[in-house]
Parts: sequence; structure tokens; C-alpha cells
Amino acid sequence: MLTLALLSSISFQLIASESIQKMEQPALAAGYGELAFTAPKAGTYQLPSLGLAADGKVVNSDNQNLSLYDLVGDKFILLSFIYATCSDVNGCPLATMVLHKIKARLQKEPELTKSLRLITLSFNPDYDTPEVMRHYGESLQGSGVEWQFLTTRSELELAPILKHYPQNIQKAYDAKGQFTGSFSHNLRVYLIDKNKQIRNIYSVSFLHPDTLINDVKTLLAEQQPKSLALTQSPKSSIDNARLYSAGDNKEHYEQENYQTQSISLSERKGQALDLLAATQHLQLGLPTLPVPANNPLTAAKISLGRKLFYDRRLSFNNTVSCALCHIPEQGFTSNELMTSVGVEGRSVRRNAPTIYNVAYAQKLFHDGRETSLEQQVWGPLLAHNEMANPSIAYELDKIKQLSDYKGLFEIAFHRPASMETLGMALASYQRTLNSADSPFDRWRFGKQVNAINVSAQRGYQLFIGKAACASCHSLNNQSALFTDQLLHNTGIGYDQAMSTVPEITSVQIAPGIFTKVSTATTQSIAETKVSDLGLYEITQNPAHRWSYKTPTLRNIALTAPYMHNGSLAQLRDVVDFYNKGGVSNENLDPLIKPLHLDTQEQNDLVSFLQTLTGSNTQALIKDAFAAPIGDSE
Amino acid sequence: MNSHASTLKNITKSLFNLSAIALVSLSMSTAQADETCLSPYMPKIKGQEDFVYIWTLGVEGLGDEQDKMVTVDVNPKSNQYGKVINSLSVGGRNEAHHSDFTDDRQYLWASGLDTNKIFIFDVHTDPAKPTLQKTITDFVAKSGGIVGPHSTYALPGRIVITGLSNNKDHGGRTALVEYTNDGEYIATHWMPTDGDLQGAIKTGKYADGYGYDVRVLPNSNVMLSSSFTGWSNYMMDFGKMLADPEAMKRFGNTVVQWDLHTKQPKKVFDVPGAPLEIRCAWETGHNYCFTTTALTSKIWLLYEDNKGEWQAKDVADIGEPSKIPLPVDISIQSNDKILWVNTFMDGKSRAFDISDPFKPHQVFEQKIGAQLNMVSSSWDGQRIYYTSSLLANWDKKGADNEQFFKAFHWDGKKLTQDFAIDFTKEKLGRAHQMRFGAYSLYPSKAADVSSNAAPKS
Repeated sequence: MLTLALLSSISFQLIASESIQKMEQPALAAGYGELAFTAPKAGTYQLPSLGLAADGKVVNSDNQNLSLYDLVGDKFILLSFIYATCSDVNGCPLATMVLHKIKARLQKEPELTKSLRLITLSFNPDYDTPEVMRHYGESLQGSGVEWQFLTTRSELELAPILKHYPQNIQKAYDAKGQFTGSFSHNLRVYLIDKNKQIRNIYSVSFLHPDTLINDVKTLLAEQQPKSLALTQSPKSSIDNARLYSAGDNKEHYEQENYQTQSISLSERKGQALDLLAATQHLQLGLPTLPVPANNPLTAAKISLGRKLFYDRRLSFNNTVSCALCHIPEQGFTSNELMTSVGVEGRSVRRNAPTIYNVAYAQKLFHDGRETSLEQQVWGPLLAHNEMANPSIAYELDKIKQLSDYKGLFEIAFHRPASMETLGMALASYQRTLNSADSPFDRWRFGKQVNAINVSAQRGYQLFIGKAACASCHSLNNQSALFTDQLLHNTGIGYDQAMSTVPEITSVQIAPGIFTKVSTATTQSIAETKVSDLGLYEITQNPAHRWSYKTPTLRNIALTAPYMHNGSLAQLRDVVDFYNKGGVSNENLDPLIKPLHLDTQEQNDLVSFLQTLTGSNTQALIKDAFAAPIGDSE
Repeated sequence: MNSHASTLKNITKSLFNLSAIALVSLSMSTAQADETCLSPYMPKIKGQEDFVYIWTLGVEGLGDEQDKMVTVDVNPKSNQYGKVINSLSVGGRNEAHHSDFTDDRQYLWASGLDTNKIFIFDVHTDPAKPTLQKTITDFVAKSGGIVGPHSTYALPGRIVITGLSNNKDHGGRTALVEYTNDGEYIATHWMPTDGDLQGAIKTGKYADGYGYDVRVLPNSNVMLSSSFTGWSNYMMDFGKMLADPEAMKRFGNTVVQWDLHTKQPKKVFDVPGAPLEIRCAWETGHNYCFTTTALTSKIWLLYEDNKGEWQAKDVADIGEPSKIPLPVDISIQSNDKILWVNTFMDGKSRAFDISDPFKPHQVFEQKIGAQLNMVSSSWDGQRIYYTSSLLANWDKKGADNEQFFKAFHWDGKKLTQDFAIDFTKEKLGRAHQMRFGAYSLYPSKAADVSSNAAPKS
């Protein structure tokens, strides 16, 4: 009677599934009929390993003791867990039905037939004796794919198997606490390869002969090298230069017809450079590299410093490395932020300065408060809103405990990590990031007359002449650092501190789409902004309010946004700012005054600035891509 | 069909010849649906949920300052109803965000967008008192540089985790990452970019490679992922970001359709303005999902057309988009009739009638608090729960920084508040993701509890 009831219920569902849903009974799973989609073509995809398939003590239907591993390793396995009295039409019967269909389908595929073994294993050893399993399987046997019907001697022997093939099997009890003979469980079928690796786990939705057979064929195809080509996606057509630029290109994002030009991070290929050798060759346009007598460059120090620079574990909570504000492919600064973001998202007041040519800087930080790279590194490491380490000892102890740093300080310095050696290592790496031999250098110092175009040549004349940029961004006849190593008030800091905030600002919310946002709205979600007074914060001299360091202009085309607060997005904006004479204030540097440049002249200046990109930037970025990124293990 | 029926007959014949055990209720066996936002692979709470697990962000200067899993008793029959009954601190502030169960609903995976830690809680041994079973600390290293684990979404025997960022530039390019239920890394599936579409079709102008949420429709072999923004933005002060034009360019504008079985991307759709949560319809034949765009304030429909091709279409505005109400969490009713949409800036919860998925229209709105993020609905749609926090540095400042868990019931026309818990007053932190627990999921526990249950006083 029960059999009849179940079968009639099933056939009714097949005919009128909607009515059945109203009766709150499940529709038949896809495995009984056609898949609603075309199963992915075998060999066109990969099935990553889900871990080692476990062994266990089992009994076959001839009452022979076996280990599961006796049946795993020589063939691909489809392992199904059932209990013989299971009555859920979309449960165990589904699994058995699908395996039966597979066996039938593969009758005409001898290679697959001999490569595959079906295993049905009971998780109800008390009822499902070997004899019961023999009965369960007898109508399903026959020629074709081998099918084993297994059980275990006891729940004790079953338990470790279920632990490794988890499926949340729980006995169902009635109101009196008596076992009803049924189980609540997740349906599970496992695909296992010849290396005993689980390669897929199926539940109701994907338990279908089409998907299972194609998965088995996909594993078979792995053994045939030719088929691997099928699984490899077509590679990038992006040219080499773009691979070493910022990969998330948002150029023209303000336009409605913006199109992405994003580069995949998985395509990045690094190539280590001999950084020490590179420093021994004087690049056209740069003076002799200043190296402190107490910290001569060595390959070991540079290598260690490079490792530290890209190590996120150097921050308190392992999230921020030096390189995440000084991003190599973004000009060793961040093109994507006006001002930096530190640990836990804390706001940093200033724009990350580029590290390119930092070896030549006599003052460090925008306010010039440090004078040696060896000391400077501890600023960000300890700042609460940057890398947030609570103490020097904490940082050094942490590094000493990292196994991948074992012996590295000793090799580089003949002593362990210390406040001094950590600074020396990081400084050594940064001291190699020098970049000149730009088109301008080849024109100005190399005497190559066509190295820069006429507009840039005019721009240079303005730079040293009418526009007087070189008064601060200075150069001489042998080399150019484009900085006077001094601090100046241009008014941009004053403007930020003292000007009134507009009531409405325009905010971009999608490509080509802007909306107006009121200051009240912005303030409801904005923290109170911390003031920035520049050099005054170091000297407490009111005359030094809003004075900031003159940055080098080398690689300036790569290091947007500009100024100490990142407030100017493009070079043309910077030229425009100076053309207007900066922003008037009582401490404005007398060198800053209206320049009266016409449009052509401003364009020429920009053309000139764009010739200052060094010839080795791609090599330095490639080297950076080859550096290990330290992450929590 | 005949041969299948005959085989089934054989199977059932051998089955019933062997045992006289009665046919048990089908509901005892594998369930395929769940409270409205969960994976279809998971057992569901059909009736009254007992607990809400709230993944809560620690706040500097408040209580123990660290992230915690807070358990609230929500069963009206309990004498602890409406109370915080457990709080498990996990150490540090990790930017606690989303959490979700394994497909067997034994464990709750809760991730931290900042530190990339994934905390795995045992919720089956004692559903009233989750315990920390394991913490994954090497997600970034194992995954090949993926940062910002967000959705932890159950597939059979495994979890698919959406990333938001990467360890190279802290921008938005990222991947889906698969783990086993045991917490072992399986594979990384990069989001398609122009540089490597991986065979996917770029249907429009964008293939940004960004990630956020993921949902599946197994019967269509479809997995959908949405796109938000990278670490630099989601960790940064909200006001600072709005004032940074370059930062505002770094939001996702895409939804990706994947082959669920092979995890290969198939199509990249233009969905501009940061599409966040994805919710799929439940009823058989309803081959569609919804997402909402945070910045452009629209409801988008992702659907299978009559040729079997998947498409994306914007189908409704949410509030006044020009005012950036900032739609955040959404929740679909299990009968596919109502989509709840929360808007962070005005603190409102809005109900859209989605009977015609192509023409959603708002039928209800109510202000829940000064700010509002998550919404979770019981399976029957009668109980709606809300929390307040969006992201640590995006939440409102000052008095508007209300942090709460609020329980309402919905009669189809109005929301009535049952109780509220002030997470600041309780010194807990910022209340974020909610997941439900119930003794009924664990039959042996249910038996224990029914014999010991204390009636509500």
C-alpha cells in the first residue's frame, strides 16, 4: 500500500506540479527528469580539490570486511550516502536513481565504464545489514559500471566516516522519544578522483546524470594534456606598458560614455631587478646618490627592506603595508585618494608623497620634520592613524617571531632587528627607487634635440623664466632634482583651513552621473576634520603656518593628485593654481604671484612636466610586482 | 519517463519490501528553502525563530571595544524574550559585517572586512550560546591576495566568499573564494575584467572586476555577484570619501552572471551606482533576482528572458535618487510579493510590491531610526528585524549615530514594534548583520528544550 501511495504521489506530481505545490509537497528534483539548463561541456572547466577523501571500515553486500580505500584510488568514484528505508523522494531514492541512470547511460562508453565505480553506503548500520544492502542493490546491478552497496558493522564504525563526509545526519524521534526509523539529513553524493581527492559534492539541485557524467569526463580529460588548453581563458590583449600602470583605470569616468579598461590582477607578472647594481649606475639628470656613511647599500639590506616595504604585517592589525599608500604602479603614491587612509580606516590628513627619488630628499614628510629615511620610517609605523603599532618593542618582537624573517636581519646587519636596523633596511630599499633619464633629461643633459617636443621645450623656458617655477623647483647645469629642499606657503593650506565650505557640493555617483549634496548631509556622516597647519606644527612659529615642502617634480605625471592635500587632480589644475598666484594670505611666499600665462603657455608648461617621467619606472614596478606581499599566516 | 518510473518503482519496491517503517513526513528530510535571504541549500526555520545572532562591531570607548556575536532571544514564549542572552567577544575590531551559515546550518561564518579574519561559530551544540569553533586568519595569503571577505554563502559542502578588495592596491578588483565547510581553502575565481574576461561577455560598457554579494538559482545553474568598492573606500570616513572625487570613481557598476556549476563568469551587466545585496525569488519558475544600487537608488531586476538568456533591467526608483537616500539592505518575502528596502540616510524601511517584478511600486514606508541598515524577515514574513550600522566609518556621527536592534511585526499593512535594544546603552557596539537560530533546526535540541522550557512569566 505504501509503495502504491508513494508512486501514485510521484506520478501525480509529474503531471500537475503546481497542484502539488499547493499541497505543500516538494516537486520532483531535476535528477528524475531533464535538467533545466544544458550541463557545462566536459573538459571546459575545472573541479578544484575539496580535500582528501577519508578512509573507513565498511562491509560489502557479500558480508566482507573492507576498508573504503580498497575501493578508492584505482577509479573515479561516485559515493552516495543513503539509508534503505529512506522515503523522501528527493532524498536517497533520488541519489540511487541518478546513479542507476548513469550506469545505464554509460553502457555505450566503455572507457568511462571501466574508469568509474559507484558506491552506495548506508548510514543506518542497525537496519541496513549487508543482506539488506544486497537486496537494496540487486535490481540495480548488471553489466556496465561497477556498483558497490556497502554498510558498516556499527554506528561506532560509521561515525568516523560521517565525520569526514559531513552531512548532518540526525535520527528523528517521535513525541515519546522513540526513534522513528527515519533520519533528517542533507543529501550528499561525492565525486572522488584517483588521487583520493574529493572533487565535487552534490546535493539535490545538481544531482543529475548530465552534470555528474560531464564532471567525470572532466576529470578524465585532466589526464589528457591537450584538453587543458580548453580550460585556459584567452589572454589579455593589453599592451605591456599598461600592465605596469594603475590597473583600475577610471579615465573619462565623468563622461556618460565611459568604458572600463580594467586590468586583471591575476595577470600581473613581476621581474626582480638587481637594485643594488641599478644604484651604481648614475642616471642621466640625477646627481650622485647620497648614501649615509653608516648605512652603505648592500644587496641583503635592500632585499630585506623591500620585503618589509610590502609586508602588511608591519601594521598593528596586519592590514596596511608601506606599499598600500605608496603603490608602485600608482607612482609610489596613491592616485585614487586625495589623502591617505590608515589602520581601521583612520583619516590621514595629507597626500601620500611619492617615494621615487626620495633618497635625495633632505627633508621628509610634507612638513619636513624628519631628515633621514632611517628615522622617518618609524613615523608611519607608530602613528595611530597610519600603521598604528603601539610601541617599538611590539613591532620588533612581532617581526622577530615571523618565521620568514628568520636570520634576515642577521645576514644584513650581523645583528637582530632593532629600531636602527629596521630603519636602515627600509631606507636602503627606498634609496634604490631612483628614476631619471627622462625625455627631458635626454634633451637637457643628453643634448638630444628631439627628445622632447617643441611645446615641452617652450614649457621649459617658461619654467625657468616667466613662470619662475624653478625658483623653488630648482635645477642646475648638471642635474635636476626640481626642489630647493625648502618649505613654502602657497596658500593652498590656508585656503583649506580658512575658507568657508560651500553649502552644496557636486558628488559623482556613477559614470557620467553627478548629484548635489548639501553640507548638512555631508556633515552628518563626516568626522570632525583635523586641522593642518604645516611647518607651524613643528616650529610653533606663526610665520610658518601652512608652509609645506617643495616636492620633486620627477615622475610628476605619474603621481596625481597634487599638493600636500591632494586637492588638485591634474597637472593643468596645478599650473592654473600658480598662474593665479596661489591663494592670498599673510604668510604667502613672495615667490608666489600671478604669472599671467596664457592658455598656450599653460599647456606648454604641462607638456614640459609630462617629459619628466624616468626611463626605468616600468622596471622598478616590475621589480615591485616580484616582491612578496607579507600577509597573516 | 517510463523507464525512469520503472526504475523508481524498483528502488521503492526494494525499499518497502525491506521495511515496514511508516512513511515519515517529508519535511523531516532535506529542506530546500530558508528564511528569505539564505542559501537554498539550507534547512529553514519555518515557524518561530528562537534567536537572532547579531554580528556587532566593537567601538573604541564603548564597553570592551571589540567585535562580538550577540544573541537576542526573540521567542515571545520565552521568559528571556527581547533580552540579550549571550555576547561572545572575538578580539579586535575587524569591521564585522556579514555572516551566514554552512549548508547544514551547523556553523555560522562571520567575516571581518578589515582584518580579513573569518570567525566560525558553532550554533548547533547550543543554539542559545554560540561558541567560537575556529578563526581563519590566513584568508588573504591563501586566496592569492583577496581582501575584504564579505558574503559567506553556502553551497553543498562548501562556502563561497565574496571579496571586496585586494592586497595590491586596496582597490575594488577582487574575486570569489571557495572554502570547504571545514574551513579549508579551495579556489579563487577572479571577477572578470577587460584584461581577462575569462570568456564572459561584456554586455555593456563596464567590466570593473569589483565584488560584493552573491546569490544562486540552482535550477537555472546561475550564480550572480554584485559590486561595491575597495578597502580604501569602505574603511574611510564617509564624509571624507564624498569630498574625494577620485575615491568616488571607485565604485562597482556591474553584476556578473556566473555558471554556478563551473564557477565561470558568463556575462557582465552594467548596473551603475554600486549594486549591493542580491535577493532571488523563491517560487519555482521565478527565475529572477533583485539588487539595489546604493548610490543611484534604483531597484534592478536580473532575470531570465523567454529565450533563456539572463538580462539586467532597472525597474524602479527608491525614494528620491537625487537626495541619495542610500538603499542598503533588502529582503524578499518568501512568497515573492514584497521586497523590503532600507535606506540608510533617512532611516526608512520601504516595502515594494513586486508581484510584477518588472514594475515594483512602493506600498509602505516607515522611519525606523536616525540611520538604518539591515533588515531580516521571518519565513512567513510576519516578523521583521532591523539593525542600524552600515560601516564603522560610514555610520552617522553625533546624536544620529543610533545603534539598535529592533523587532517588529508586519500585518501586511503596518509595522508594529515589539521591542528594541539600544546597543550603545548596552555597551555592545554597532549592530550589523542578523541571522536566525532555532531549536527546531536541531531535533535533539528541540526535544531537550521542550522538556525544560520555561513558560513566559
